[in-house]
Amino acid sequence: MKLRKTKTIEAYIPTASMADIAFLLIVFFMITTVFQVDKTKLILPASIVRSEVVKGSAFVVVTEEGYIKVSDGKEDTHPIDASDVLSFAVDLMSKDPEHHVVLKVDKRVKWHVVDKILEQLEQARVKNLQFLTKLKTNQQ
Amino acid sequence: MKIQKEKEQPEIPTASMADIAFLLIVFFMLTTVISATKGIEHILPQQDKDTETQVEKEESIYIKINADGTYTVDQKEPRSIRDMGFLKDYVYAKVSRNYKKPIIIHVNPEANYESMIAVLDTLKQVEEQVAKEGRLPADKGLTISIPTSAELEAWGY
Repeated sequence: MKLRKTKTIEAYIPTASMADIAFLLIVFFMITTVFQVDKTKLILPASIVRSEVVKGSAFVVVTEEGYIKVSDGKEDTHPIDASDVLSFAVDLMSKDPEHHVVLKVDKRVKWHVVDKILEQLEQARVKNLQFLTKLKTNQQ
Repeated sequence: MKIQKEKEQPEIPTASMADIAFLLIVFFMLTTVISATKGIEHILPQQDKDTETQVEKEESIYIKINADGTYTVDQKEPRSIRDMGFLKDYVYAKVSRNYKKPIIIHVNPEANYESMIAVLDTLKQVEEQVAKEGRLPADKGLTISIPTSAELEAWGY
């Protein structure tokens, strides 16, 4: 007796929802994406207490050599003179008096450099400041 | 005679939709920086004359950070910046009784930025501890000020 051949069901992966999955991922990455405004490499001081930097904060970067770079949070950082921080901050505050400013300073920088920046930020009536740090581990 | 033309159904090609989407995913994945951008918050004083209160040096917790990596609290002997336990206990004892007690951090111009962060971090840890124990009203923090050298000069410190 001849056995009747069973009909093989063709295997296939449903691809109709592929685009939906992909778009979901896109939305996730779009929301989490923060365009880094500063890529300066420096050694940050460590601390235990840390809180998240507000998205779109302005940056003031001081390298070990004392070079100062600023960014309003939208564009990349650009180098400026130590005495021009005031005009930068005043400009920033005129647009939004509550704008957060992040200080990204190398840990080896002497205080008087930071002091001058703080003085100018205070003069420009900057209110919300944040000192960028890295997480302190037990070894330190 | 009527010629029946077969009507072609209009449609948008969606086969490449997934490809476009994945291209965008790759772009966003590459540009995403899930970096640890965290730091210590600090509220700068506002220069309003009516809210400004003169603080006597004796009334406050006066922390001096020296250029050689040591710190001095209220005339006590200098301690290394690595030894933060003393500062923590000292400030905690005072602040847990009165959270409004002003804390002044006087940083020597030649001191390292790292030293200042170490002290500020310790103070923030005390703040967290006091807040956890419910001795701090909501939305209030310790009164920490980091006067600039011009202010220090004006105050006569």
